[in-house]
Amino acid sequence: MPKLIIDHREIEVPPGTKVIAAAERLGIMIPRFCYHPGLGSFGACRMCAVKFLEGPVKGVEMSCMTEAQDGMVFSTTDPEAVEFRRYVIEWLMLNHPHDCPVCDEGGHCLLQEETISGGHGLRRYEGKKRTFHDQDLGVFIQHEMNRCIHCWRCRNFYQGFAGYRDYGAMQIGNRTYFGKYQEGPLESPFSGNLVDLCPTGVLTDKVARFKGRRWDFERGPSLCLHCSLGCNITSGARYREVLRQEGRFHEKVNGYFICDRGRFGFRYESHPQRPRRAKVDGREVSLPEAVQAAAARLGRISREAGPDAVACWGSSRSSLETQAELRRLSRGQGWRAPLFFNDASQDRKVRNAVSRLDVRLAVSLREIEEADFILAVGADPVNEAPMLALALRQAQRRGAQVAVLDPRPVFLPLEFQHLPVPPGSINRCLCILLKGALSSRAAQGLLEAGAAHFYDALKCSYDQDPGLQDRLLALGRSLQPSQRAVIVCGTEIVRDSTPDLAADFVLLLNTAGIRTGLFYLLPGSNAFGAALLSGTAEDAPPLHPLIEAMERGEVKALILVENDPFWHFPDKDRLKRALDRLELVVALDYLPSPVMARAQVVLPTTTLFEGQGSAFVNQEGRLQWAPRLHHGGAPLAQVGGGSHPPRVFLDYVPGSEPRPGGEILRDLGAALTPDPGAPAVDWWTWLAQENPGFSNASALPAPPGGLRLLPEAGKPPVLSLEEVNRNADRVPEGHLELFLVDRTFGTEELASYSPHIQKAEQAPRLLLSAQDAAQLGLAPGEQVTLRLPGGPLTIEIEAAVNMASGVMFLPRHRQLAWQKLGGWPMLIAYNAIEKG
Amino acid sequence: MLPEELHAQLQKKIAAAHRPRELAIDVMYAVQKHYGFLSDEGLLEAADLLGMTSLELEELATFYDFLYRQPVGRFVIHVCDGVVCWMFHEGSVFDYLCQKLGVCAGQTTADGLFTVLPTACAGFCDHAPAMLVNGVPYGPLTPESIDQILQKLRSESCDLVVCR
Repeated sequence: MPKLIIDHREIEVPPGTKVIAAAERLGIMIPRFCYHPGLGSFGACRMCAVKFLEGPVKGVEMSCMTEAQDGMVFSTTDPEAVEFRRYVIEWLMLNHPHDCPVCDEGGHCLLQEETISGGHGLRRYEGKKRTFHDQDLGVFIQHEMNRCIHCWRCRNFYQGFAGYRDYGAMQIGNRTYFGKYQEGPLESPFSGNLVDLCPTGVLTDKVARFKGRRWDFERGPSLCLHCSLGCNITSGARYREVLRQEGRFHEKVNGYFICDRGRFGFRYESHPQRPRRAKVDGREVSLPEAVQAAAARLGRISREAGPDAVACWGSSRSSLETQAELRRLSRGQGWRAPLFFNDASQDRKVRNAVSRLDVRLAVSLREIEEADFILAVGADPVNEAPMLALALRQAQRRGAQVAVLDPRPVFLPLEFQHLPVPPGSINRCLCILLKGALSSRAAQGLLEAGAAHFYDALKCSYDQDPGLQDRLLALGRSLQPSQRAVIVCGTEIVRDSTPDLAADFVLLLNTAGIRTGLFYLLPGSNAFGAALLSGTAEDAPPLHPLIEAMERGEVKALILVENDPFWHFPDKDRLKRALDRLELVVALDYLPSPVMARAQVVLPTTTLFEGQGSAFVNQEGRLQWAPRLHHGGAPLAQVGGGSHPPRVFLDYVPGSEPRPGGEILRDLGAALTPDPGAPAVDWWTWLAQENPGFSNASALPAPPGGLRLLPEAGKPPVLSLEEVNRNADRVPEGHLELFLVDRTFGTEELASYSPHIQKAEQAPRLLLSAQDAAQLGLAPGEQVTLRLPGGPLTIEIEAAVNMASGVMFLPRHRQLAWQKLGGWPMLIAYNAIEKG
Repeated sequence: MLPEELHAQLQKKIAAAHRPRELAIDVMYAVQKHYGFLSDEGLLEAADLLGMTSLELEELATFYDFLYRQPVGRFVIHVCDGVVCWMFHEGSVFDYLCQKLGVCAGQTTADGLFTVLPTACAGFCDHAPAMLVNGVPYGPLTPESIDQILQKLRSESCDLVVCR
């Protein structure tokens, strides 16, 4: 390890470290513009000059372009280096406008800081400044090209790091223009990172434009809830509403960056219709009164109709506290065990996935970047968990091979191999791939007896498409020399057994000496926590029986906790009828959802920004903690009547009644059973009793990096050979299987309440393969009407070449009344698809 | 629209390349030769042929001196802007040309014959100060030789290629 001396202080750094990074380890921030630890060195700005005094390099050099070597001695404060930097900043500032007072970057502007640190105070340049025309880059990013100092970070990120190709650097020299060929929305769902990266005000946050300076904000660490990855975020609130979010570094999860859904999807928090008052039968009451009313009614139903008449339905977007309190409440009252998932299949898949992860197998998002072979099974990263796509790209840039086994026309901003097979055939394709991966080891007799037997018995024929079979075998063979492979497995469109199969295969590959990690995508930011609290897969309460029990009148009261069934239940009319049969619906939520309008008792909850602090467990089992950002209340912009500051002083904060879901549920429990008898055990002890998975955790807040709730050793392979070798289930002749899928914007519940995200949505379209479209006589872009059990649905079609045939995909889109499907699996006969 | 023959020829060339991107400049030259300059239409056609985005081609097209994104005269004069030519009074060559033709750098004469542009070192240092006219080097230049060259270009129907 090279040892060097920086400003008289010695430090040892790993080989390959740049000098600028070595100095940073000592807390010495060498001025820089183009260099960013997430992007690497570029050498464009010349701002990070230091003077090398002794060792292999001599004189003034760029610290970002020089690798740390043994024996280096350099100074960041040497007069020669200081003078060099002073000239550089003076020349970078030549054309920069004097518009700091109206610039959104002012206050957290790197250019301001480096101008001061470089010692440039008086402009000597008297010539005309170079000017540009700005472009409209869409709803998220504001463009102000005159401020540009040509550091190239934006293009470096946009094209190099993220792999999108519609934004870049045009012209040459002083005229270099960063923008698009023609103005228009940026195509990348990672464009918001340009705001964080731009060292000055060229690319600023349009959503937060003119809303405040950094020092105006209550700013603090938070978490992203818009998918299961659990990216870290810095949020900023002012006047009781979140206004601006930035990426927050986490070395194991998201690195420096986040996606646009996470960055701009926060406006549900300040939605004008957000429930802020408790209601009983449509009448506004205080929260404690509403809790008492709910307790009285629930107690009566529970006494008169038996505890089984009360059901609880939570969600995978609630914090761990809320989920746990719901479990505790229903346990304490003897009610039905709470549900956290939307349907029985999802429930099974998530629990299976969660039960299979252990310390040896689980990989973090950042570990994916280090992988050399990645197979994504039934996953569409850009739409389901956008940051995964960036991780895959980094892996690929480092030489990894990436393959996707998914029926959808998956787009990734990188070169990858796409194997479009229908969900029913994914298992078989995995078998073929495994056969290829283990072939040479098996031939050499290197597999242990059990694995060898399994290998021999594996079926590997794929009659539908022998060409695909060969490609899979070849892909499997290219897995053989891999040192750090990863299998990514989705849980949305895959069959129930696929998550288990993926885990079994990862175990087998590991026993065969191919180090392989496992990475699941789950539905919801706290699906992992929900699965742990749901118990084992065997005692899974199936979901549809809940609706049936509601219809039969067995369930008389339903507690909905941060769950809007109208968003996800596939049969709207049936849901309405079932809810109407109930005597009581108690709904807790922070979203102005349709079910809140139907509930007899409405209990408003806080979002993660205003709670006492909330814990969420991401898809790799990492428990992360988001402290309170601000103290809640209706935004001043909404209650101030356009005047600010408020001219009338109150002794309370308007709209501050909502409380964390967990607290409300605890109060509800206390109101139902005033004297619980047994002394309450510590919360974590109770959780560990519920599921040993929680025994790692003992207190909140969790440590800054998060805490992994994973067992040391997980389950052995669970699927029998018979199950693994089961033939691919085929869609009956003359039918297409319909799946609901995600889109980056428009299908995620929380972000869909944000007006900016709504503007970025693409109109929903029905996706089917070009082959099927031709067979049905449909042209791309044509309108079709699907005759569904719940009524007709008219939608434009999109015919894709690179997707499996026999399947159709419908986005679970906000703008689309897809809740007419009836249920799963959804088979659509050819004659149920009509033109027009 | 590119003629079908050229389109097919370019397609074939691109198909034979290891990566289409390698041929970005070649394709843009071919398109430029057809249109007389690299028009917006031509750039989009080239992008389509190469499977690259319009932005990616624009980045290249606006970086290189010999790709013209605006209409140019029949003769494009690139005056060498290299260090050696500076030493041989390249500035006065530039000034003289502009004065003589009544245009500024980057402009085209009213008769549509000449466009004057600078270029990075043309590698003709042994004949400095030098210039390129439609890719053909001239030098060492003096005001007199410039007059002669312009006269010759004006009077002769000259079939010089636009770069390459």
